Amino acid sequence: MSQKTEKNVFTQPLFIIFALLAVAGLVCWFLQLTKGLQLTNLNNFETWGLYIIGFMLFTGIAAGSLIFTSSAYLFKVMEEYKPYTRISAYVGAICGVIGAGLFIFVDIGNPERVWHIIASAHIASPMFWDTVILLVYVIVGILFTRQLLTVQDGKKDEKSLQAVSWVAFIAGLLVMATSFVFAMQVARPLWNNPVEPVSFLAAALVAALSMLIIIFAILNKTGYIQMSNEELKKLGKIAGVFLLFELFVVLGEVCIGLYAGGGEESTIIHWLVAGKGAPFFWAEIVAIVVGLILFVNNNAKTTVAVTGASVSIFAIFMIKYNLIQAQLLNPLITYAGPAGYNPSELGVYLPSIIEIGVSVGIVALGCLLVLIGLNKLNLGAGKQADSKIGYNKGTAINS
Amino acid sequence: MHYGMAIDLNKCMGCHTCSVACKSANNLPNKIWWNRVLTIGGESMDTPSGTYPNNKMSYLPVNCQHCENPACVKACPVGATYKRKEDGIIIQDYDKCIGCRMCTVACPYNVRSFNWSKPEHYVDFPVGDIDAPVHQYNVVEKCTFCVNRIAKGEKPACMELCPGRARYYGDLDDPNSDVNKAIKGRNYTKLLEEKGTNPSIFYLE
Repeated sequence: MSQKTEKNVFTQPLFIIFALLAVAGLVCWFLQLTKGLQLTNLNNFETWGLYIIGFMLFTGIAAGSLIFTSSAYLFKVMEEYKPYTRISAYVGAICGVIGAGLFIFVDIGNPERVWHIIASAHIASPMFWDTVILLVYVIVGILFTRQLLTVQDGKKDEKSLQAVSWVAFIAGLLVMATSFVFAMQVARPLWNNPVEPVSFLAAALVAALSMLIIIFAILNKTGYIQMSNEELKKLGKIAGVFLLFELFVVLGEVCIGLYAGGGEESTIIHWLVAGKGAPFFWAEIVAIVVGLILFVNNNAKTTVAVTGASVSIFAIFMIKYNLIQAQLLNPLITYAGPAGYNPSELGVYLPSIIEIGVSVGIVALGCLLVLIGLNKLNLGAGKQADSKIGYNKGTAINS
Repeated sequence: MHYGMAIDLNKCMGCHTCSVACKSANNLPNKIWWNRVLTIGGESMDTPSGTYPNNKMSYLPVNCQHCENPACVKACPVGATYKRKEDGIIIQDYDKCIGCRMCTVACPYNVRSFNWSKPEHYVDFPVGDIDAPVHQYNVVEKCTFCVNRIAKGEKPACMELCPGRARYYGDLDDPNSDVNKAIKGRNYTKLLEEKGTNPSIFYLE
């Protein structure tokens, strides 16, 4: 492992692609800053869109990664994943930064005032709680990664991880509290129910485990880690259980809405099942079911697990997408008003090019940080901690 | 003191004068309406409900409900929207607002508007009151009950210009106020009362 191979990360094609996408995202954000949020497809009804969906998704991945990482040290059944926790803790921290910082940062109208959330905090606001929780994710993720690296270097005993594991586990569970931004709104009947926090936890675990399955499979192929197919498959099965829970939540909501036949929530469910939102809703259902099938079948092939994971991330994305648009496009007061204030004018929500550009840029930036971490930090090694393959950082991404 | 308003739906003829009065007095930017007269009926404004010949025109003027238990105030992460202790009016502090639109999501009445673009006006000079609010880019705004006017002892613009004299305004804590006199003995509803926000706008039936 020479200095030369370590530096290679910055000239790798994948790194350059991510860097270019991140720069393109930055350009889109600059345009949005100068011309205003009018460049998005948001309006006074659909006031939140792709950025908040991204925020929910990546907050979930951050929380789920912390839960996965800590579980390896807290529960015997998860012990076999200890060699991979450096990666998951690091991914958790990066997604925390992305989920916490950037997606909210680009969504708010006055990003230069973001410090007001801390400086003139209104502690009764669920959005303030979210800010605190997400800051905790970033700090705990970084601390955990650091501690794991110290243990890896043999400077500390594994038992010293007990405290940080509990902190990370509880912090991960707090993803339920991040749902309060939605669940506590009396104005939004679809969100205003007690299943929402649990659903957020299940979604977080599905998204995080799926993301980790994809990352582990790639790193396995490059020799960065050595994870058995059984270990990968088991992660898929755990994710499958939580995805099944998400399916129950969706089906439960649909049954309740359709049975009622009328009323606030029923209107939203009809909009989803057979109304304007139907293509989005059925895409969500298909993705959940396909993800489930790919996760729970007995095919041990890595490609099956990776496809299942990719479909499942899409399923969680669609769950969040529909959660936002189905509710915001179906306001409580439906009477016709002037242009811009008439619910009848509303169609479905499709993000604008600028929104997509900014979001892709943020995700690309996250990928960049993960690439740098994998190359510069001692995250890999796997079970053969001292083998040369484990430390083959320079070629890890190229191959 | 607790300012409130009563709107007599039997007197409202759907002329939209209150909307325009509000827009003009507060020098509202293009596309922004703090006070809107919604049509109960068809899919477009000013279209009747029912099918011919059994049609009906009815209207519902909606502005900020200045709730006693405002969902928006609880939701704001920076305290940019707050209830004034002295008179219960819900205020939006443009200088503090970070533009996260949490309040817009929290409000059951959709009365909050965001400045998606730089505030622009149809005329190139300010209109309305001399002390009309200065509108800002990227912040949420809404009806203020014309705080600048009531500070001078005047009435909100919407009720002053209403040709049907459908609006009544005043202190809900004062039994002799115009608003309390108007409510007395009348049936009234409050918008989405089941949401627990306890609005300060009374719709007289």
